[in-house]
Amino acid sequence: MNGRGDRLRRGTVLLLLVVLHFGLRPWLGTGRAAPDFLLLALLVYAIGARPGKAAIAGFLIGLLSDAVRPVAFGSAMLAYAVVGYLAAWGKAVFFAENPVVAAAFFFGGVVIRDVLVLVWGGGLSGGGAFWQLLVWTPLQGLSTALVGLGVLYAFRRWLGIRLTG
Amino acid sequence: MVSERFASRWDTLAFVACVGLALVARAVPEQAQEAVSSGVRRTVLAPFLLIEEQTSRMRAAYAQAERFLAERDSAALRAMNATALAEENRQLRQLLALTGRLPDGFVAATVLRQATPTRGLTVVLSKGARDGVRLLAPVVTPGGLLGVVRSVDPQTSVAVLWTHPDFRVSAMTPDGGVFGLVQPRGGSPDLMTMLLVGVPYRDTIPPGTPLLTAGFGGVYPRGIPIGTVMGMLDEQVGLARSYVVRAAVHPGSASHVIVLVRRTPDVASAFVRESLP
Repeated sequence: MNGRGDRLRRGTVLLLLVVLHFGLRPWLGTGRAAPDFLLLALLVYAIGARPGKAAIAGFLIGLLSDAVRPVAFGSAMLAYAVVGYLAAWGKAVFFAENPVVAAAFFFGGVVIRDVLVLVWGGGLSGGGAFWQLLVWTPLQGLSTALVGLGVLYAFRRWLGIRLTG
Repeated sequence: MVSERFASRWDTLAFVACVGLALVARAVPEQAQEAVSSGVRRTVLAPFLLIEEQTSRMRAAYAQAERFLAERDSAALRAMNATALAEENRQLRQLLALTGRLPDGFVAATVLRQATPTRGLTVVLSKGARDGVRLLAPVVTPGGLLGVVRSVDPQTSVAVLWTHPDFRVSAMTPDGGVFGLVQPRGGSPDLMTMLLVGVPYRDTIPPGTPLLTAGFGGVYPRGIPIGTVMGMLDEQVGLARSYVVRAAVHPGSASHVIVLVRRTPDVASAFVRESLP
C-alpha cells in the first residue's frame, strides 16, 4: 500500500462518517445519546495523524459544528481542537491495540469535548448541564465508543490498525 | 516510533493557533460570527445539510405513514357512511312524501333489526302498542308492501316480511281485471321474487304488469304495490296459471317504514306516483 492510497482510503472512511453524521442521526430520535460521527471521524483521523494536524482538523470540525448550532460560537472549535490534539498526542501513550482501550479512547473524547463545550460556552449553569454531563454525555460516549469499535473493525485494513482481543 | 507521535514544535504552534482562533471566534461580534456560520452552511456544509434535510423528511414520512394510513381509512369509512346517509335521506324523503298522501291512521317506524339474506323473514319495528300499532297492520314503504305486523309489544313490534312462508296477500292488476294470491317463492330474499297463484286460466297477465293489493280479507287496503309480473311460471290447463313476480320492496333495503294502523279501504292514490308506471 502506498501513501496516496492510504490517504484515499482513510479519507473515504472519514467522509463516510461525516455523511453518516448528517444522514443517519436524524433516524436516531433526539440524538442526545446517539453516536457523534463527527467526533468519531476526528478521533479516527487523530489515530494516524500528528497532533498539530489533528488540532487543525478538530478546529475545522468544530467550525462545522458551531456553524450548525451557533449558540456559543467558537466553543466547539476550541473543544474539538483540544480533543484532536490530545487524541493525537495521547494515543502514543494510551492507545493500544486492545478494543477496550480503544473504546475508552472514544468515550473519553466525547466526555472531554462535552466538558469543554459546556465550560467554554457558558452552559454550566442550571440543571441542564448536570443532566448532560451525568446522563447524556456518558450515553453518547458509550454509543460513540461502540460505533467506533465497529468502524475500527470494519475498516482496520484501510486505517492500518490492528486490533487484538 | 513513540517519539514521533509526541508533539513537535510545529504541532504545538498549530494547536496554539487553533486555540487562539477559537478564542477570537468566541470574542468577535455576533454579526461576524453569524457571517462565518452562514458562509460555512452555504458552502462546505450545504451538501451535508441537504442530506440531513432529506433524511429528516424520510424519517418524518416513515413515522407518519401509519397515521396517514389510518386517516385514509377513516376518510374512506366516512365516505361509505356518507353514501349510506344519502340513501337513508332519500328513503326518508320518499317516506315523507308518502305520508303526505296517505289518509290519517299511520305510524312511521324505524326498522331496528333489518332483514339479512340469511334472516330475511321478520323485522323489529321501533313502534308498538303505545303508538297505536296493532296486529295484522300492513307495513309499507314508499315502494310498496313490505309485510304485516305479527306481534306487538308496548314499545316495539315484529313484522313478518313478504319473504315469510306464511305470508299471503290477495293481488290484482291495476285495472282490477285479474286477481290472484301472492305468496313468497322461497329461497334467498335477494332473489326478490314472489309467486302469483290462482290466476284464472282464462286470464293472462303480460310481463311488466304491476300488481296491487286487492283489499280482500280486511288486512291489506286496496292499492298497495306488491310487485311486477315477470312471466308465467306454470299453468294447470283449464284451471289456473301462476306467475313469477318481482317484489316492489327489497326486504333488506328498508330502514324506515310506515305502519297502517287504521283500516282504510283504498290507498292506491298514495302510491301511484311512487311505484306504478
